[in-house]
Amino acid sequence: MSVPEDIGKEKGLFAAYKLAEAYIPIQIYGETFDPKAALIHGTLFPELYRPYPVRPKV
Amino acid sequence: MWYYEKKLQYPANVSRTDLGMAKFLYAQYGGPDSELSAAVRYLTQRYTMPIPQAKAVLTDIGTEELAHWEIIGTLIYKLTDGATPEQMRRAGVGNYYAQHDKALYPADAAGVPWTAAYIQSTGDPIADLHEDMAAEQKARTAYEHLINLTDDPCVIAALSFLREREVVHFQRFGETLMLVREYLDKKHVY
Amino acid sequence: MYSKDMMNLLKEIMAVDFVLYELGLFLDTHPNERRALEDHNNFAKKSHQLKTAYEEKYGPLHINSISGFPYQYINDPWPWEIQYLGRESDVVL
Repeated sequence: MSVPEDIGKEKGLFAAYKLAEAYIPIQIYGETFDPKAALIHGTLFPELYRPYPVRPKV
Repeated sequence: MWYYEKKLQYPANVSRTDLGMAKFLYAQYGGPDSELSAAVRYLTQRYTMPIPQAKAVLTDIGTEELAHWEIIGTLIYKLTDGATPEQMRRAGVGNYYAQHDKALYPADAAGVPWTAAYIQSTGDPIADLHEDMAAEQKARTAYEHLINLTDDPCVIAALSFLREREVVHFQRFGETLMLVREYLDKKHVY
Repeated sequence: MYSKDMMNLLKEIMAVDFVLYELGLFLDTHPNERRALEDHNNFAKKSHQLKTAYEEKYGPLHINSISGFPYQYINDPWPWEIQYLGRESDVVL
């Protein structure tokens, strides 16, 4: 199996991470929806909003 | 302890009676990745969490899951409201009517009763939090399947709300995992 | 059974309480985030004000709320029985 050349360069980015552990970035407090918009979106936080594309039904 | 608040977390509506959709929604009322499983899972695992942040997150998300269980129950109740036994038989839910009439019962979409075998509580906070994050992902995809099964805009709106909550919970459990691991790493150093 | 005014106030409480809960859950993993805590405390006040106004007009939301005679907590509609009417253009709220 060949390894792309630039994988070594990217290693620095992941130096703080250990193998065989899962990581999630800690959220930073920023902009928020107003109450009504928050309830419609299902979250107060625009950066956590991941809408599901509703497909047209037959 | 808990007190009931006489309101839903989200104003769940339906546009019309839909017995088939009510049956599908049982996936999230009493299935493996249901809101009931989520509530019992988190509210059971919280006792052996090692740090205050983790005890709080498991307690608060576990409590929110009970509010989601109520939203699913409301959708099922409204989707079956006014249906006759004949209509239920024609819609393929005559077997449900025979045993439960239109009462709610914690079973999955195929009628399999809810069981504690759907959850685990290992005493290992890292293992438990990984289960919790996986559970949120499974519930998220279950909501996508349910959204694909209906064209009722009211039902889609409520399911989209519940689906988004799974995304937010995944983030909070992930942050909790990071905090617990930091705590355990420090503990092992001293 | 229930008026449009009751519905609007109930939905406003739902929205404010949702924000309050989201901030609380955020603070569970970010207890040192001062700005989020300030927002949380402001929404806690807002929630309390709205619920006091609601309960005075439409009856208790909690088993431990003050009630007129006869005991009003039990009154219909219960949350799953309410048709949460909205504008035609907005199926949700």
